[in-house]
Amino acid sequence: MAAEIADSTLAAMRAAVDVLPRRRDQLLPALIAAEHAIDWLPEAAIEHVAAHTRIPLSEVYATATAYSELRLEPPVEGRWNVCTGVACQQAGADALVDALGERAAPTACRFLCSLAPVIERHDGALSGRVSVEALAALTDGAS
Amino acid sequence: MTIDAALTALRETHAAAAEARVLVHRGTCGQAAGVERTLDELRGIAGTSLVEAACDGACWAAPAATVIRADASANGATHVHRFARLDESGVVPLEACLGGDCDGDGDERNGGVTERLGRTDRSLGDALAGGAYAAAAQALAMEPGAVVDAVEALGLTGRGGAHFPTALKWRFASGAAEAPLLVVNAEEGEPGVFKDRHMLEGDPHRLLEGVIIAAHATGAQQVFVYINGQARNAGAAFERALVEATEAGIVGGDALGAAVDLEVEIRSGAGGYVSGEETVILNSIEGQRPVPRFKPPQITEAGLFGRPTVLNNAETLAAATLLFDASPPSTKLVSLSGAVPRPGLYEVAVDGGSTWATVLAEAGAASHDIEALLLGGPSGLFVPPSLFDQPLEMAALGAGGVVALAAGSDVAAVALDLARYNASESCGECTPCREGTQRLVALLEAPALDRPRVDQLIDVMMEASLCQLGGMAGRPIASAIELFPLAFGVGSDAEAASS
Repeated sequence: MAAEIADSTLAAMRAAVDVLPRRRDQLLPALIAAEHAIDWLPEAAIEHVAAHTRIPLSEVYATATAYSELRLEPPVEGRWNVCTGVACQQAGADALVDALGERAAPTACRFLCSLAPVIERHDGALSGRVSVEALAALTDGAS
Repeated sequence: MTIDAALTALRETHAAAAEARVLVHRGTCGQAAGVERTLDELRGIAGTSLVEAACDGACWAAPAATVIRADASANGATHVHRFARLDESGVVPLEACLGGDCDGDGDERNGGVTERLGRTDRSLGDALAGGAYAAAAQALAMEPGAVVDAVEALGLTGRGGAHFPTALKWRFASGAAEAPLLVVNAEEGEPGVFKDRHMLEGDPHRLLEGVIIAAHATGAQQVFVYINGQARNAGAAFERALVEATEAGIVGGDALGAAVDLEVEIRSGAGGYVSGEETVILNSIEGQRPVPRFKPPQITEAGLFGRPTVLNNAETLAAATLLFDASPPSTKLVSLSGAVPRPGLYEVAVDGGSTWATVLAEAGAASHDIEALLLGGPSGLFVPPSLFDQPLEMAALGAGGVVALAAGSDVAAVALDLARYNASESCGECTPCREGTQRLVALLEAPALDRPRVDQLIDVMMEASLCQLGGMAGRPIASAIELFPLAFGVGSDAEAASS
C-alpha cells in the first residue's frame, strides 16, 4: 500500500510532523498533521510520528486506532458515509443506505442532527436533509 | 485606566461592521443545506452590506439570511427579519425588505449566551459592539475570590451534563499549592448535541471571554481548549478569534484595563464518544492513549501533567460571561432534533416556567405528535409525553441533547441502536463496560427479554465501570423498558403508567 503514496506526499507528511516539538504531548497533533497531509495514516506515517515524538511504535499504533477519525486505510472515493444517529434514523437514514447500496458506509453521529438525514462525502463535506430522490444528483455530481 | 476607558478604546480601534446589513448564515448548517447556491444572488442585491455569519441556531431555516435594518415605520428602531429556506422561497422577499417591505420572521432576543449567535461576522469589532469583554474587564478589576463568590451567587453549574457547581470546582483548584491549568471541553462527542459547535462558530469571542474570567478566578495562566476534530468551522473560528484578541492586547496584554497573562493553546480531538470524558481529554492532551483514569485523585488535585486542573465545558464558560448582567438568565442550550418542524439550537430559560411542551411548541411540534423524547443520547433516558408539562430542572437536562421520536416510533429499536452504539464506542479499558455493553446488546437481541438479567447487568455496569460511558450505558435501556414494556414484550404499558 505504501508504494502507492507519492514521495512528495510522504515528504509533505514528514515536514508537517517535523515542525512540532519532539514531545509526548504532541502525539495527537502529530497524528492529525500526518493524516491531513496524506488523507490517512499508512505505516510510514505511524513510524515517522513514533520516531519524531520518541514514543514506542506499539503505543503510537494503539493511540491511532483508538480515535474514530484517524484512518488507517485510505478513504474510498465515491463512498458515502450515511449518518445513522437517532435523528437521522428518524428521518430515513435506512432508505439512504439502501439507495446507495455498496457506496454506503453507515456511520455514527455527524452532529448535524438538526438537518437530518445527513450524508458525508469521502472528504468530509456534509449534506443535510437528503432525500432518496435528491441522492442521485448529489452523489453523481459530487463524487 | 478605568474599565470603561479600556473598552471604549478597544471599540474605537475595532469598529463594527455597519449596523444595517444582510447576514448570510454560512456556517456548517448553511453549507450542508446549500447556502453556497444563493451567494451570488445575495451579493447581487446586498452588495457590500452582505456579511457572513454562522448559523443563528435556527438550523431549520437553513439556507437563510437575516436583514437587520432601521425601520422607518418604527421610528428608525433596528429590526431583524430572518428569511428562511432561500432554496425554496428565493431571494425576492429579502430584496423587497431591503426596499422597505419586510415580511421575514422577527427574531428578537433578550440576553443569554445566544444573544450574538449568528448575528456577527465573528470579528472582534462586531463582538465588542455587542457587549463582548465587558464582563471580563469587570472581573479582572475584582479579586479572584470575589469573582468565584459572584459565580456561586449566580448558581452556575457545569453545562456539560454533570451540573457540578462551577464555583466549588474553581475554589478546589485555586486552593492548591501551584497555579492550576485550565482545560476547556469543547469535544462535544455526545450524539445529538451540537451546542458548542454553534457557539464557537457563531460567537467565538464569547468562549474566549469566559476563559479570561475563569483563568482570573482560578489563577490559571495556561489554558488548553480541546475542540472536536470534526467541528472544523468551529475550531477555525475560535482560532481566528484568539489571534484577533491577542493582536488587540486582550490576551497577553492589558487592553481590558488589567494584564491578562494567558497562554491559550487549541487542541483538536479526533473523534470517539469516550473522548469527551474529562480524564480522557487529559490523557489525550498528554499524548497518552485516550482512555479514562481512575479517580481519585480528583483532577482539581492532580490532573493534566499531574497538576491541579480546572476542566469546564465550553457552555459553562460562555454562561460565565453573563455574570454581571442585570438579571442573568438561568438558561440551558438545548440541541433539539428529530420529529419537530423546527429543529435547531434553543436557549431555554430554566426558571420554573419552561416545560418540554413549551420547548416543543417553540419548535412547532405538538406533544401528541411525539412518542417520547430521548434526552442525553446513548447515556440518557426517555421522557414520555406524560411528563411534558413538568417544569424543567437544570440538573435533569444533562448536556441538553434532545431527539424527538415521532408518535408510533419503535422505542425498543431505538434502545437497541443506543446499546449497539455504546458497545462500539467502549474503549475497552475496563471489563464491566467492554464486556457489559456487548452482553447488553445480546440480551436485547434475544427473542424474549430476560429482564432480571438485564437489570443485574445494568447495575454492575453502573457500579463498576471506570467512567460514565459504561456507567450510564444501561440508563436509556432501563428507561425504555420501564416506560415502554410492551415494546419489549414484557408487562403492559398500562401497568407502567399506573405504577
